[in-house]
Amino acid sequence: MSVLANNHQVQSFFSCRDLNAYYGESYVVQGVSFDIPEGEIVALLGRNGAGKSSTLRTIARANQPALTSGEIWLNGQAMHTMETYEAARNGIQLVCEDRRIIPGVTVEDNLTLAQIAEPIGWDKERVYSHFPRLAERRKQEASSLSGGEQQMLSVARALCRDVKLLLLDEPYEGLAPVIVQEIERMLQEVKKMGITTIIVEQNAVAALKLADHAIIIDTGEIVFTGTAQEVLDNQALREEYLAV
Amino acid sequence: MFDLSINAFFMQLLTGLQMGSIYVLIALGLTLIFGTLGVVNFAHGALYLVAIYLAVSINDAMGFGMALVLVPTILFILGLAMERGLIQFFYNRPHTDQILVTFGLAIVIQELLKWVFGANNIPFAIPSWGNGIILMHEWFPFLEGFVVYPKWRMILVVVSIVTVSAVFALLHWTTFGLVIRAGMRDSEMLQFLGVNINRRFMIVFGLGSLIAGIAGVFGGPVTQVSPEVGMHLLVPSFLVVVIGGMGSLSGAVLAGILIGMAQSFTAYDINLSTIIIYLITVIVLLVRPRGLLGAKGVFE
Ligand SMILES: Nc1ncnc2c1ncn2[C@@H]1O[C@H](COP(=O)(O)OP(=O)(O)OP(=O)(O)O)[C@@H](O)[C@H]1O
Ligand SMILES: [Mg+2]
Repeated sequence: MSVLANNHQVQSFFSCRDLNAYYGESYVVQGVSFDIPEGEIVALLGRNGAGKSSTLRTIARANQPALTSGEIWLNGQAMHTMETYEAARNGIQLVCEDRRIIPGVTVEDNLTLAQIAEPIGWDKERVYSHFPRLAERRKQEASSLSGGEQQMLSVARALCRDVKLLLLDEPYEGLAPVIVQEIERMLQEVKKMGITTIIVEQNAVAALKLADHAIIIDTGEIVFTGTAQEVLDNQALREEYLAV
Repeated sequence: MFDLSINAFFMQLLTGLQMGSIYVLIALGLTLIFGTLGVVNFAHGALYLVAIYLAVSINDAMGFGMALVLVPTILFILGLAMERGLIQFFYNRPHTDQILVTFGLAIVIQELLKWVFGANNIPFAIPSWGNGIILMHEWFPFLEGFVVYPKWRMILVVVSIVTVSAVFALLHWTTFGLVIRAGMRDSEMLQFLGVNINRRFMIVFGLGSLIAGIAGVFGGPVTQVSPEVGMHLLVPSFLVVVIGGMGSLSGAVLAGILIGMAQSFTAYDINLSTIIIYLITVIVLLVRPRGLLGAKGVFE
């Protein structure tokens, strides 16, 4: 009992500690630390160039920006020692800001590619019953999809993996308001599934509707942590860091 | 001078096809390696050189069947070793660095082979079933009189067609192929999806090398077995890759045949036949910098 008490460090489902990451010489993630309890959604906000995408890419263990120090823990596993593909196999899924649909292959191939490495999540039938639009276009060349459909495919592709931490980088970017509503409905469903999520969005209000907590970063550093409601209520804070 | 008879035309067509076949086999490996790993591998001609020397040696000692099995296998392993031991350290370096180091490696391999086997051509004994000629006029009734073509050269053409088809089938009809094609488009995204793409690219390097092995076993008797053959083939094969479009397989096939034909149809003038391939390269690059079937954005 006492051994457990001494050695067992209370740890969140997701936790990152003092992350520092660089694009070459440029220091883009500066000592970022935060925790997320299982099943919660966190909105990561900040101005253009604040380092939101860089933070997500660092957590997803991309090679660039290069993580120089810090720790990333997910579900008790040390992600900071892993390669990109290993982090993905252990539950991190990054839905990139430009969606990164693989061109030259079909919609269905894009889903297949998410199911190559174990452990996998949704099967294709489940994807198609949730997203009938993708079912209709399964044999279509993937880059011929509309922006909204590509966003759908990008999220669906992440769900095809056994995702423990979903990183959404600007899911509403460049989409018409009706399409944004459609993607919002889709993300509400993902939320009901209880997947721990970090959402980055220019559209702060939309992100905060979905999120439980909010983190604001500025020039690579965290400047605010609180509930989503606190940000919605604090006009001055939003004006200072989000320009809204 | 230029002979317009149907027989001469037909023979030049065949010769062009046969020359193109070797270019295609070598360019296929080059373009696969460039398309996946982004590495310009100037040592690819040296891999062909290793293959023909291995082929001639194994053929003499153990027969053609063993050469056919062993040479591509050894080349595959050699390719993997080369990728792990050297090439992987140059992925993130400029193309000029890659060219310098692989070119250097090519020279080293060439000189080593010259040291072991000597500078002279080594005769390659074609197996008995591949010897002799094909009576073309019996197959193609429109030919006038008596027209023959060496059987081995036709075999080379067939081997090239089979190899190209096999590579296309692998890339388009298998999951491995899907991963490779997708990886050529966006290798980072595949890693985000949990795929260890670098391991698969290493296998592709091995495959490119294996194809050079197949080329060596069947091409050796045609290109001859001497130390400068590697460099002689490297330049046209590299230009084939450039004309076809860096990283494009169908481009390499198209450009390989094109260059083979162009050389064959200008063979009546040695000067013209030497410069024709550069001429075509210049024209294609001026009109279409990415090559005939190259992906948008590459070298554009
Ligand atoms: N590939 C790169 N190479 C070098 N610097 C980069 C690269 N990508 C981003 N940066 C720099 O890193 C900093 C943080 O960029 P990042 O993309 O993380 O910002 P962001 O908060 O996602 O912005 P946005 O809202 O515009 O997407 C910026 O100064 C940016 O110029
Ligand atoms: Mg961004």
